Amino acid sequence: MRRKQLLSLFMLVVGVALLVAAMAVGGASSATKKPGSAEALKGGTLKLNENSEDFDYVDPGLAYRTDDWSMLYTVNLMLVNFPEKAGAAGSQLYPEAATSFPTVSKDGKTYTFHLRPGLKFSNGQPVTAAAYQRAWERNLSPKMGSPLGVNDQFQNVIVGADAFLNGKAQHISGISAKGLTLTFHLTKPNPTFVSYLSMQWFGAIPPSTPYTTHGLNTFASAGPYYIASRTPGRSTVLKRNPYYKGSRPANPDEIVFTPNVDVDQSLLQVKSGQSDLDIGGIPPTAAATLGTPNAAGSQFKVGPTSCINYMAMNTAKAPFNNVSLRKAVNWAIDRPAQLRLLGKYAGKRSDQILVPGIPGYKPFNIYAISGADVAKAKSVGGSAIASAPSVNVIHTNTASSTNRAQVVEFNLKQAGFKVTDNPVPGTTYYQNIQTKGTSYDLAMNGGWCADYFDPFDYINVLFDGRTIQQTNNVDWSFFNNAKFDKDMDAAASKSGAARAAAYGKLDQELMADYAPVVPYFISNDRFYVSKRVKNWIYSSYFGEPYYNALSVG
Amino acid sequence: MTQFLIRRIFWAIFLFFVATIITYLIFWVIPADPAKLAAGRGATMQDVARVRHFLHLDEPIWEQYGRFVWNLIRHGSLGRSFVNRQSVDYTIGQDAPVTASLVFGAAVFWLSLSIPIGILSALRPRSVLDRVSMTFVLIGISAHPVWIGLILSYFVGYRLHLTPISGYCNFFPGTAGAQCEGPVQWAYHMILPWITFMVLFTALYVRLVRANVMETMSEDYVRTARAKGASQSRVMVQHVLRNSMLPVVTILGMDLGLALGGAIFTEGIFNLPGLGHEIINAYNNDDLPVITGVIVFSTICVITFNLIVDIAYGFLDPRIRPS
Amino acid sequence: MAALEVTDLSTSFRTDDGIVKAVSGVSFGLDEGRTLGVVGESGSGKSVTFLTVMGLVDPRSAQVGGSVKLHGQEMLGMSTSQLRQIRGSKIGMIFQDPMTSLNPVKTIGWQLEEAVLIHQDVTRKEARKQAIAILKEVEIPRADQRVDDYPHQFSGGMRQRVMIAMALINNPEILIADEPTTALDVTTQAQILRLMKRLQDEHKMAIVMITHDLGVVAELADDVIVMYGGRVVEQAKVDDLFAKPEMPYTWGLLGSLPRLNAAGGRLDQIPGQPPSLLNPPSGCPFHPRCEFVMNVCRQELPALDPSTQGLEHRFRCHLDEEARTRIWNAKKAALSAAETAA
Repeated sequence: MRRKQLLSLFMLVVGVALLVAAMAVGGASSATKKPGSAEALKGGTLKLNENSEDFDYVDPGLAYRTDDWSMLYTVNLMLVNFPEKAGAAGSQLYPEAATSFPTVSKDGKTYTFHLRPGLKFSNGQPVTAAAYQRAWERNLSPKMGSPLGVNDQFQNVIVGADAFLNGKAQHISGISAKGLTLTFHLTKPNPTFVSYLSMQWFGAIPPSTPYTTHGLNTFASAGPYYIASRTPGRSTVLKRNPYYKGSRPANPDEIVFTPNVDVDQSLLQVKSGQSDLDIGGIPPTAAATLGTPNAAGSQFKVGPTSCINYMAMNTAKAPFNNVSLRKAVNWAIDRPAQLRLLGKYAGKRSDQILVPGIPGYKPFNIYAISGADVAKAKSVGGSAIASAPSVNVIHTNTASSTNRAQVVEFNLKQAGFKVTDNPVPGTTYYQNIQTKGTSYDLAMNGGWCADYFDPFDYINVLFDGRTIQQTNNVDWSFFNNAKFDKDMDAAASKSGAARAAAYGKLDQELMADYAPVVPYFISNDRFYVSKRVKNWIYSSYFGEPYYNALSVG
Repeated sequence: MTQFLIRRIFWAIFLFFVATIITYLIFWVIPADPAKLAAGRGATMQDVARVRHFLHLDEPIWEQYGRFVWNLIRHGSLGRSFVNRQSVDYTIGQDAPVTASLVFGAAVFWLSLSIPIGILSALRPRSVLDRVSMTFVLIGISAHPVWIGLILSYFVGYRLHLTPISGYCNFFPGTAGAQCEGPVQWAYHMILPWITFMVLFTALYVRLVRANVMETMSEDYVRTARAKGASQSRVMVQHVLRNSMLPVVTILGMDLGLALGGAIFTEGIFNLPGLGHEIINAYNNDDLPVITGVIVFSTICVITFNLIVDIAYGFLDPRIRPS
Repeated sequence: MAALEVTDLSTSFRTDDGIVKAVSGVSFGLDEGRTLGVVGESGSGKSVTFLTVMGLVDPRSAQVGGSVKLHGQEMLGMSTSQLRQIRGSKIGMIFQDPMTSLNPVKTIGWQLEEAVLIHQDVTRKEARKQAIAILKEVEIPRADQRVDDYPHQFSGGMRQRVMIAMALINNPEILIADEPTTALDVTTQAQILRLMKRLQDEHKMAIVMITHDLGVVAELADDVIVMYGGRVVEQAKVDDLFAKPEMPYTWGLLGSLPRLNAAGGRLDQIPGQPPSLLNPPSGCPFHPRCEFVMNVCRQELPALDPSTQGLEHRFRCHLDEEARTRIWNAKKAALSAAETAA
């Protein structure tokens, strides 16, 4: 279950640097360059499974999970977009429907885009500026009731959005669309605004598309594909957009998603060629049996995600209000053992918050990364370990969680802690640990994935004590330190290399001085593709290959 | 007969309220908050409040229940899913035929297997056939459908390529976007699910039929028939079978009604988009409208099948025929 | 020639606990038109004897020996199809419990017609005529309507009439009635017995009346055999038996007849339990309960000897003539004293 549940406002703080870099490299060149070229890649039906899940919505006005977005990426025509490229190149924006990056007024509050002429939707209608205006309005309209939980992040960005959201205006006054010219009026300068526009909420949609609280299952789109049919829980079928004339790959004739497949059955289907790929990955236990990943000719693909997995410690109460005990736990935990329980190629051990690819990431080993160091744990924790109250270890009651919790509890006991095992169902689990004043001490199933490739998204979002609210907290540690808050603010205001350096130091400071969590590994996504699949290009942003680039022809 | 039906209908309404009220109460008691799930991790309190209002979760539980009942009575609507906002009526309408395909198809197989085997076992207790079939009964009762399903998929589907590994095709062609459809594909895709689903029931029914036939064979009226000079086959067909099938009919009715509420494991393993699959997904997402919808539907199924059993019983057994 | 001649019949069943000798060395004859009463406690082998005669014991578990001749034709060893032709046609049988002896899901008419159709080559219509006729004969009112009723719509006595009708519908030479009145109330019992007597006269058939009720025997039977522990222990014409029973078990049976002991309010019971057929007692099967037991009783099974009164009165007992006469006279005196006191 890889939900991207948070798309906070901050997620799109793509460093200004990134934007500048993108402009410098020249969007035009990356847009015209055809990735994976060759007509030979075209044709066939790409059959994709998704184990245990279905898209919740495919309507871009409502969809906001990564699986939804990885699919919408193939149907949406964005003003600015990411190219179908692996690695860092895949995170460089280029103007897609826009002729170039926008012209920005001197006060930084007016952005003007010019659209390419001749763009068409899958129903033949031309794409005009109104298509993007409609996308924004469908997102914020009270008639959509959407997108649940993200309105707050946009209503204050554009002039008039707030009034529109509250039903006081027919249109967002700050967006004007005249022919191919689209203008946004912002309430205040926002250097990350262009990055917002790469989110799948803001793809072109025909201006006549209705508002609907329950979302559309099919609609005309202007990207390489369009959704030809969808039966929730059964199938979603994409077909090549006959009117798409752009340079993005559109290799399969048809892309079929089959949801809710059993994960083991799904692997069998791929092995036997009845399916091409499970976009939800493989069963962890199968990883050891599939050969060497990413080798030439190997059907086994492993790609790093941006997800750091950690155990959170409740710093709001004893025993883990004592920083030396938190450090002791960081020494006591057997990280390799945890990883082994997750199957082969599950990820890479880590003891810090930032992950490779995030500006400022610098590997440093503060704690016992190659195994538990009981002696060190005991000496760091000292006599406080023995006098500490029993550690309430909370974990979901699945087999996998329970196994890993047992190892953690063993590690803690080795170091001299007293331990209480607290298995709970998944639904209660998050409720419990996200509520201020919770009774848990150590939570097993913590983790964070990049909403965007910026350290802010990890450090500030997770550890800013000022964001702690009554319930629904992401700061599971309830870590609240005034000095660290100040340091974070300072880092966030920087840009470019200075920003990266500042966050690198923060990452180290956090773990060395405060240790509110036990980071233990960066997870990989593990896939198995059918024999016929070619042109695998992996996006660590979606944690998926680019479906439109995959070839089964 | 009319009085009987009226009593039944009142009983059905009563059960409907009991089942749905319990669902709502459980939902109210467990510390789950679908608004939070829908709003997403890290959503601000205002976001969650907005979602809660949108989903009417800010109302007291009895008001929510009242809204549910009103919508059902006034509009015949079971509401919309919290998770994907699809209409629950539509979802159940989509799912029910799949579950029905599985349950009725499997029932045909398990009955046509268990009745002859049960009878033969009863006729020759302690024979080789009886011992072999009782061993299979034990295995069938012990083996979990998930295990059976995975083993079948692996060997029959994956190694031998005899059947698809999983998936479902509509019986009636004409669904948009369907990758496969029509009776042949439907049956082809259902073979493994049917087998998986019927193993347990075949085992249970072999035992049931065997026990009933043996019991009936020791009835006085069977001795009477023999004393009349009736042949073995006449005794079996005319005197033993109908009487020994009476309890089987009752149990079959109950089993079918229950199974229509969802064959959770088999549907999960073979990715059959039926009610069992639906309710598990809904449960994982705290999707109250879908959970309630499936419960309402299965309550109706159970009640309907019990009614059918009662009416059928009237024809099969003159002793309780309402005159 | 005897209609039915049973010689040295024995039936034993294999069970999980061992061999159960239900019937051992039973011999008797039944002449045409006569009534044989068969008396004994539950488990004395009286029912099994006649189920064996009918071939209704399960051949997989039962071991049968001896000889059963129907009009001189050996029945043991007959094929099942030959046996089926005799059952219900030459020999009819009715059972103790009329409540459970009829198939609850078939109409009375259907069950009667079935009996006809098995043995006669007639149409169902003709069979139905016969069914209605025989129902009238067993005095079921409105027979032509009730023929379509189900068993549960009849009272116990009526059902037993239906059972009798079913046994008689093919005009059998022999009717075996296994405790036909036990489950009925006293008034109904009398009606059924009267009916049977009348039908016997009309159909000129022999009847075997299996019962534990000596009163029924006295009323209906010409001859009587007393069974105990799977064996015949006394065999006589009915008058002879009541005039002078020759062994302690029969004395006990007569002593426990309510009719003979109305005043005392206390029935003479035979102390102890019926013998185990799995591990039968050594010697005389009755010896553990016999008040006149002697050493020889524990070691030797007494032969089925003719008494001095005549060859037809046979019994098993080690007591000598003098002792038997003395004891019986004393018992008789006690019994009649009790009767007079009433």
